Amino acid sequence: MLLLALRTFRDRWPVFVGAIVTVCLGVALVQSSLLTLVSAATAKVPPGLSAAEARATGDGYAAAITLLGMTLGLAFFVAIFVVSSTFAFTVAQRRRDLALLRMTGAGRGQVRTLLVGEALLLGIIGSALGIALGLPVMRLQGTMLTTFELAPPGFTGEWRSWIVYVSAGTGIGVAVLGVLTASRRASRVRPLEALRDLGGAARVMTASRWVIGLIFLAGSIALLILVPAVGGEAALPLSINATFTLVTAFALFAPLVVPVVAAPFGALFRGRLGVLAHANLRNGVRRSASTAAPIMVLVAFVVGMAGMTGTMSEAGRLETVRDLRADLVLDTPGSALDRVVGAPGVTAVSEEAPVSFDIAETGDPDGLEWESTSGIAVDPAAYAVTHRVAPTAGDVADLRGATIALTPSAASGFRVGDLVPVRLAGGPASLRVVALLPDTLVGPAALLPADLMPDGPRRYVVRTSDPAAAGAALAGVGQVSTTAQFIAEANSEQQKISTNIMVALLGMAMVYTVIAMINAVVIAASDRRAEFAAARVTGLTRGQVVAAALAESLAVVAIGVLLGAVSAIGTIFGMASAVRDMVGVGVVTVPWSMIGAVVVLATVVVGLTSVLTSLSATRTPAIRLVAARD
Amino acid sequence: MTASDPVAARADDVWKVYGSGEAEVIALRGVSVTFQRGVFTAIMGPSGSGKSTLMHCLAGLDSVTRGEVRIGETTVTGLGDAGLTRLRRDKVGFIFQQFNLLPTLSAKENILLPLAIAGRKPDDAWFDTVIRTVGLQDRLEHRPAQLSGGQQQRVACARALVARPEVIFADEPTGNLDSRSGADVLGFLRDSVRQHGQTIVMVTHDPVAASYADRVIFLADGAVVDELHDPSPDMVLDRMKKLDAPAEVER
Repeated sequence: MLLLALRTFRDRWPVFVGAIVTVCLGVALVQSSLLTLVSAATAKVPPGLSAAEARATGDGYAAAITLLGMTLGLAFFVAIFVVSSTFAFTVAQRRRDLALLRMTGAGRGQVRTLLVGEALLLGIIGSALGIALGLPVMRLQGTMLTTFELAPPGFTGEWRSWIVYVSAGTGIGVAVLGVLTASRRASRVRPLEALRDLGGAARVMTASRWVIGLIFLAGSIALLILVPAVGGEAALPLSINATFTLVTAFALFAPLVVPVVAAPFGALFRGRLGVLAHANLRNGVRRSASTAAPIMVLVAFVVGMAGMTGTMSEAGRLETVRDLRADLVLDTPGSALDRVVGAPGVTAVSEEAPVSFDIAETGDPDGLEWESTSGIAVDPAAYAVTHRVAPTAGDVADLRGATIALTPSAASGFRVGDLVPVRLAGGPASLRVVALLPDTLVGPAALLPADLMPDGPRRYVVRTSDPAAAGAALAGVGQVSTTAQFIAEANSEQQKISTNIMVALLGMAMVYTVIAMINAVVIAASDRRAEFAAARVTGLTRGQVVAAALAESLAVVAIGVLLGAVSAIGTIFGMASAVRDMVGVGVVTVPWSMIGAVVVLATVVVGLTSVLTSLSATRTPAIRLVAARD
Repeated sequence: MTASDPVAARADDVWKVYGSGEAEVIALRGVSVTFQRGVFTAIMGPSGSGKSTLMHCLAGLDSVTRGEVRIGETTVTGLGDAGLTRLRRDKVGFIFQQFNLLPTLSAKENILLPLAIAGRKPDDAWFDTVIRTVGLQDRLEHRPAQLSGGQQQRVACARALVARPEVIFADEPTGNLDSRSGADVLGFLRDSVRQHGQTIVMVTHDPVAASYADRVIFLADGAVVDELHDPSPDMVLDRMKKLDAPAEVER
C-alpha cells in the first residue's frame, strides 16, 4: 500500500503539488498571523517615553492586537477551507482508481489508510515548507502594519520556537481532517463503479452535506440577527464570523447552484461549444463546485469587508452631518479661545480638548480592569449649541467639576449618579456620571467638563453669520475648514484607515485564495486529458476544446462570484442594521468598484489558468491518449 | 473448501429486479446454474439478456433480489461489506473488457497488487509460470500506457491468475482486442483451466470466444434458455441466431 501511495504520488504530482502548496501557504499564513499577534500582545512600551507617548503606543498595540486577532481567525478559516476543499477534491478525482482497488480485494479500512497516509505525507511536507515560508511572510506582515500605522513604529513579529509544533500540528491536522470526510465517502465507493464510468457526480448532494449546510446556514442567520443586538465594537468581528459560516454553508450548497448557473450559460454559448461546456458543467458538478470555492471566499471577504467598512464610514459621515451644527471647524495647537470669539460674525464657539484616560471596566474597586478611552472636554452650554445633543439619560448641562457623560461603548453598565473610577493625568480618581449619551460611530466616547481640560491641542467648533470673513480671520490661528470640508476630510481619512485595515486584514489571505484558485483549475484539468482527447477525435479542433474549457471556467467564476456576493451582501446588511440600531442612520453601501475589481481579477486568473492548462493537456496528439485510455 | 467439492460457484433461483413500479426492470428471472471446478464456462446472450448482471451477482459485486449465490463454501448472498471484501480478496479474480489496470503501477506491480492488498507473499515459482504463460517476461517494468491493448489484457489475466482464486470472472475479455490478441488471451485462459485446474466464468457475445469454453450457457430475457458442451463457433452462432429474434433494451 505504501508503494501504491508513492507511485500515485509520482503520477499525479500536479494534484499533490497543488495540495502541498495549499498546506504550505496556509501554514505560513497562520504561523505568521499567530507570531505577529503574540509579539503584539507581549510587546513592552519602551521606557523613556512621556506619559502621553506611552499611552499612544499602548493604544496602538491594543488596536493591533484586535486587528491581528481577526487576521488570525481569518487565516485559520481560509486555510482550513481551502485545504479541505482541495483534499476532498483530490479524493473525488480518484474514485475510479479506488473502486478498482476495492475490486481487487482492498477493504474499506485499507482505502482509508491509503488516503489518510497520503494526507499525512502531504501535510508533513507542506508544513515543513510552510514553517520556512512563514518567516518572510511574518516580516511582510509586520512591515505592512507599521507602514499603514496600524502598529507603533518599530514593531516586528518575533520568532518563537514553540510555533514549530503549532504550525506542524495545524498543517498536518488540517490536511488529515480535510481528507477524513472525503475518505469516508471514498471508502464507500462500490467496486462496481470501476466498471461504470459515471463516477460520483450523480450523488454530490449527500444527506450529511444537506444537514451540515443547513446547520451552518441557520448559524449564519442567527449570527446576523445577533450583530445588531450586540452592536458597538463587537459588530465587525461578529459580522466576519457570520461571513465564515455563510461561506461554509454556501460552499456546501454549491452543487445545487451549479446547474442553475449552467442553464443561462447554455443559452448564452449557443452551438456545439456551448452544448459541450454546458454538459461539462452539469456533469462535473463536484469539479465546478471545488473550483468555485476559493473564488467564493475571495469575493465574500473582499466585498463583505469593503461593504461593511464602507457602510460604517458612510454612516459615520451621515452621523456627523446630522449632529454638527456649525459653520467652521478650527484646529489649533493650543488654547486660542479669545481670538476665535473675536472673529467676525461669530455667534457661538465650542472649545473642545481631546482627553485620553483610563476608565474602569467594573465597579469592583479591588479587581479593576482599565480600558483606554478617548473623550473630549467641553463647555456643555457651548457644546449643546454647536452639536446635536440627545442624552438617553441625565443632562449634559450638569457637566461641571468631577463629572462625565458616557456613551454605551465606554459606559459598561454605569448609570447616572454612579461614581466611575478613572486614571486621568492631573485629575480626580473618580468621576460622577451625569448623562448617558447615545452610541456613536465617529466619537467621542465620553464628554468631560471644561474644568478637566488639559493644555495642548484644541478644536473650536464655530457658528458665525459670516463664514468667509471668519474663516479668513482665523486662518492665521490654526487649521480652519468649513463644516463641509471638515466632514469630507474626516471621511476620506476614515476611508484611508478602512482601506489600510482591509489590506492588512485580508491581503495575505486573499493572495492565498488567488493561488488556491489557480491550484483548483490546474488540479481539475489534470485528469481531463482523456476527456479532451475524446472531444478532439470527435471532431473538435484544439482551439475549440480550449474555448469550451474556457467557457466552462467562466461559468465557474460566475458561480463563485454569485455565491460569494450573496454571503457578502448578507453580512453587509447585518452590519447596516447594527449601524442603524446604534446611531439611527440607515445606510447600505454596496462596494460596486470592489465587486468589479474582484470579478475582473478572478476572471483573468481563472481564464488564463484554464487556457494554459487546457493547452498543455491537449499538447499530446489526441489519438495517442484515446488509445492509451486504460 | 474441500478439494473434493466439485462445485466452484452456483446460483439458486436468482432474481434481480432494478427499480420499482413503472420503472421496474427484471434483469434475472430465477436463474439456477452450477459452475464445476476446473471448467471454463461461457455465458452468452443478446444485449440486455442479463449476462453481465448474472456475472456481477455471482461475483458479489451486485446484490440479488431473491435467491442465493455461493462461491465454494461461502454463501455470497447476505454478506456485508467486510465479507464481500474478503471474498474478492481470497476467492475471486476479475478480468474486464476495459483492462482496469492502475495506470500508476508497472505491469509487475499491477499483477502483484491483489496479493499485496491481501498481505500474502507471492509464490515465485507460480508467478514465473503465470508470466511465462502470458508471455510478459520482458514487459514487467512497463506501465499500462506503454503497453498495447493485448499486452494490457495479458497483464490483467496474470493479475487474476496469480492469486489462484476459486473462480475468475471475465467480462468480455476480448471485447477491446483485435482477433489475434483476443485468440492469445483466450488461449491462456483455456490453458490455465486445462493445465492448472482454474475455474473461469466468461461473459461474451462473441461465438468465437465462446468456442474456447468447455461449456456455453445461453441467457435470454433474464433466464437460462440453452446450454452447449464442447462447442464449435458454428454451433454457438447457430444457437445465438435463434435467440436474437426478440429485440432487447440495452441496460
